[in-house]
Amino acid sequence: MTTTKELWENALVELALTISKPNFNTWFKETHIVRVEDGTVYLGVPSQFARDWLSTKFHKDILRSLRGLSDSVRSIEYIISRGQKKSDEPRHVPAAPSELPLESVHAKTNLNPRFSFNTFVVGPFNELAHAAAQAVVRKPGIAYNPLLIYGPSGLGKTHLAQAIGNHFRINAPDRKIQYVTSEKFSMDYVSSVQSNKVQSFKEKYRQYELLIMDDVQFLAKMEKTKEEFFHLFNYLHDGNKQLVFTSDQHPNMIQNIEDRLQSRFSAGMIVSVTPPDHDSRLAIIRTKALSHGIILPDDVLDYLAATVEGNVRELEGALNLLLIQFELRGGPLTINDAKNLLRGASGSTKKSVSVQEVVKTIAGFYGIEEGSIYEKTRRKEVVRPRQVIMFLLREDFKISFPTIGEKLGGRDHTTVIHSCEKIKNDLTTDSTLSQELHQIRLMLK
Amino acid sequence: MKFETSTEAMLTAVATAGRFTEKRANLPVLSSVFLSAEGNRLLLRATNLECGVEIMIPAKVSEDGVVAIPSSVLLGFLTNARSKQVTGSLSGELLVVETERASASIKTIPHDDFPILPRVSAEKSFTVKSADLSRAIRSVAYCASTSTIKPELQSVLLYSEEGKFTAVATDSFRLAEKTVPLRGGGSVPQLLVPARNAAELMRIVDTIKSEVEIYYNDNQLSTQVENVYFTSRLIDGSFPNYRQIIPKTFSTEAVVLREDVSSSLKSLSIFADKFSQVSLTIDPAKKAVLLSSRNPDVGEQTSTMRATISGDGLTVSFNGRYLADSLQAISGESVRLNSNGAGKPMLIKDAADDSFFYLAMPMNR
Repeated sequence: MTTTKELWENALVELALTISKPNFNTWFKETHIVRVEDGTVYLGVPSQFARDWLSTKFHKDILRSLRGLSDSVRSIEYIISRGQKKSDEPRHVPAAPSELPLESVHAKTNLNPRFSFNTFVVGPFNELAHAAAQAVVRKPGIAYNPLLIYGPSGLGKTHLAQAIGNHFRINAPDRKIQYVTSEKFSMDYVSSVQSNKVQSFKEKYRQYELLIMDDVQFLAKMEKTKEEFFHLFNYLHDGNKQLVFTSDQHPNMIQNIEDRLQSRFSAGMIVSVTPPDHDSRLAIIRTKALSHGIILPDDVLDYLAATVEGNVRELEGALNLLLIQFELRGGPLTINDAKNLLRGASGSTKKSVSVQEVVKTIAGFYGIEEGSIYEKTRRKEVVRPRQVIMFLLREDFKISFPTIGEKLGGRDHTTVIHSCEKIKNDLTTDSTLSQELHQIRLMLK
Repeated sequence: MKFETSTEAMLTAVATAGRFTEKRANLPVLSSVFLSAEGNRLLLRATNLECGVEIMIPAKVSEDGVVAIPSSVLLGFLTNARSKQVTGSLSGELLVVETERASASIKTIPHDDFPILPRVSAEKSFTVKSADLSRAIRSVAYCASTSTIKPELQSVLLYSEEGKFTAVATDSFRLAEKTVPLRGGGSVPQLLVPARNAAELMRIVDTIKSEVEIYYNDNQLSTQVENVYFTSRLIDGSFPNYRQIIPKTFSTEAVVLREDVSSSLKSLSIFADKFSQVSLTIDPAKKAVLLSSRNPDVGEQTSTMRATISGDGLTVSFNGRYLADSLQAISGESVRLNSNGAGKPMLIKDAADDSFFYLAMPMNR
């Protein structure tokens, strides 16, 4: 079956022959088929002028040519709708005056109004974080202070943190709110030092009643900024001012962060967001699609939720891809279209890695010989990597304990269990190890 | 077709209809005026498919008929006709137009392709005094963008809130808003009328002194002003939420005489560079507002105006034309300038009238 786009293109070719060129150019220029339903073709036209004229003057011609191409067409309805937007012309902006900041982020608080609780999808993977954020909204400064949300990127940490800010911006407009990324904070600090205005920097940040800082893990590397942050933290926290942070790791896992900061983070509430499960992904896609005003068939939604695992941002990307196709075509998307489109598009599709490859990568990472892993040696420099290999094979690739033991030189499954437990325990205290694991996981992707 | 009517009535009608013809259209018939003689009246219709007009004038019709003729030719003939009455009759492909002294045969255009005008049902409508509507549009329409990239910025936004009827336009460098009273209650949703069409609407409602009722639906707006039916398409889009960018508090305020600013800007334009940059200084110590412009090829000028100032001093550069534009919508004696410092937009108001404001962004340097 031809798509609606092809159908209309073919019809236009025929119509161009029967209708005079000026008429054709004037009236058919921006038309497209919006959808076909029960034999009725819904034809999108640019204005009421076009609708009235096409339906009185050219209705018969249009119907005849559409029927000739597709037997199922019985009638035509004209609706006023702009088709896909014209591709953006290179924008010519006179160099001189700067623009009025229309529709940008909220200037005073630096918050993006797009992020609100209404658009946040709650599921088992983030309900604790959401509940904590709600508690902060109800009792700012008292309930959980500071609130730290951590988890991998693209799972809505920033969304949640900004939603808290936006809630107060709308409901308590005189409260002083600031959203800042840790990078912006450190740049502010550095430039204040350069221009000898550290005092005004301090005053600026100390006036806030709600401070939201994104990606605090980056502060760890910056010694002086970290110190300033520490003082700011104490000042605001003592004044019962609400603090909200996001990080990509648990504060105990962040390297180079002093104990005094770690313990201060722990004083409030630390909640994690994890990747969504299948049902939550389904709910997220449905909400996002609906917010674009489009309803996708259930099997397409299901396929999307099943294929694109991992973070919400990727999910959104895949969905946008489908939506663009939907708009271009102006017709319903089938499961096959979705399959074709998403092939190769989803970056995080599962990849099978052999045990040998894992061993090779990790041995390479620790700079030891691959063969020594399989040997019976208990040298210290070999034992640790071997345990890491077992841990990763178990955690990330879900291989059974006996199989792991067998593949790694015929070891007993209890040895493997012990190794996994050991690494798991060490992870809670050893931040170097967690960094190593993070890097190894990246290499294995 | 054969009719006789008053030359003056027909001249006014053709002149009005002529503004709605499209000279460079794909469809040649759109450059013409459509005439239809029927009963005891003559109907003239013209459209450029963006907006359209239909004008009814009384006529003595002895033979019904329709014809389309180039508006410019007919207008040229009628402008110079010096008689009370004019007659028209169709002879083959020619329309013979005769006055007491002159007679012309004008070649007609096949009228089959002439489109009909969209009608808007009377379900949704609002009423304003015609003078108010035209003042509201006149006060803001010049701010609309000329670029076609954002159709919503090429438009004038009309809406009502709490019994006040508001018109707004912006090209993202400056913004103007004017409010006038809405008659007869009700509320108006946001209607985006293309600025060109809004200007035509303004000219049409300008011809009467009473109230005017505007009908609208999702795609179209129309009105009947005496014998003239006007319709314009509406833009499907959303106007930026401009209220949030209007500053509420200011660090500087200056009140100056409008006439002073207006005449200074005129003479400064001689010395303006290609960006028509004008620098504005508010000097609390001297109690003066200084305007200056400089063009390396011509020279430079500074004008000083006495002013009442409160707050901090300030120097900002503006596009002089943008400043001058704001004054055309201000009729009071003095103008209030408000700012929050260099790099921030300046709010310009009539010192005695709160119904209008103008917000202009300064230039980057």
